[in-house]
Amino acid sequence: MIFRAVEDADLIGKARQGEVEAYNLLISRWEKRVYNYLLRIVGEREEALDLSQDVFLKAYQNLRKLDDPARFAPWLFRIAHNEAFSAFRKRRPEGELPDPAQFPGDDIPSGGPAAFPIELSIAVTTALGKLNPEQREAVILKIYQGFKFEEMAAILDCPVSTVKSRLYTALDVLKTQLAPLKSRGVT
Amino acid sequence: MSCSPFDLRDYLFGELAETDRRQVDQHVRSCSHCHEDLERLRLTHSTLLVLRDEEVPQRIGFVSDQVFEPSPVRRAWRAFWGSTARLAFASAAMLSVALVTFAFFRPAAAVPAPASDTAKIEQQVSARVATAVEKAVAESEARQARKTAELLAAAEQRFDKQRAADMENVAQSISVLQKRYNVREIQLARLEEPK
Repeated sequence: MIFRAVEDADLIGKARQGEVEAYNLLISRWEKRVYNYLLRIVGEREEALDLSQDVFLKAYQNLRKLDDPARFAPWLFRIAHNEAFSAFRKRRPEGELPDPAQFPGDDIPSGGPAAFPIELSIAVTTALGKLNPEQREAVILKIYQGFKFEEMAAILDCPVSTVKSRLYTALDVLKTQLAPLKSRGVT
Repeated sequence: MSCSPFDLRDYLFGELAETDRRQVDQHVRSCSHCHEDLERLRLTHSTLLVLRDEEVPQRIGFVSDQVFEPSPVRRAWRAFWGSTARLAFASAAMLSVALVTFAFFRPAAAVPAPASDTAKIEQQVSARVATAVEKAVAESEARQARKTAELLAAAEQRFDKQRAADMENVAQSISVLQKRYNVREIQLARLEEPK
């Protein structure tokens, strides 16, 4: 883990000196995480890809502003967060929640035989669609990206207490939403 | 409501310190209610993780183009170093370094006095020089006059001696001539006397 961090820092240093190939290598390490983060927020693959490209371009152009290369991940996801919510603002009127229909899948069926992985994925996607964007982002950053609360606070630019509140409220919703799957053998 | 000493969700997400974690471990082993809560949380967590990450449909990468440089300043800098001005700049830089080094190690020049002080000092110096010149000229003239007087006195003394000597010689010559004249007169007288 430390070795990985040192390597990233080295690549960041080279990229700061204008070595595009070093930056491309850095992208190859982070593009999947950033793309999936954005995909789970915006719900569209094409838009998630476009936003990912914008994120890495902005990151490259602002790389010199990164004070501590060890904090590259929260810094990168902060840019991704801004890009995603900027896209939301352009796409929707102020304050309106994203359309849950973007997250495919009907209501989670209860009972019946054990759920197939594809059904589970649909059920989880649907459950995530029930959350508001802030709660969903908290779940994505914690459960899918594995950030610490402190890092999440930096990404979302809010106190740790707010981060925990959003996450735990989301967990309560998800527990309720995913409860029917319990009886169908999800482990 | 959980009776765990620490939040089970913090425990699940690995946000507790090691000592706090151990306390929750012990508590969950003895408390069936909290054990059940924790299992529900784990189940929800594992269910969420069913959703796998997708592969990026298209690799993201940038070509080496100036538009992707980190900043306009950086781009300008690289463009400059890629240009023919590099050698000239390097020369100028070396010259600048040499000048700065020379200026740094050179003894500090005397700080020029303010303009008013300079004029005053010049005036004082002129006055002193004029006084010194006057004094030197006066001394020289006095010295010259003294020397001239001495020379004149010596010359007069010499002249008087010479005149005295000349007078004495003339007197002696006149005396000799007188004597010779007397001798001739006597001889003539003797010749004219009848024998």
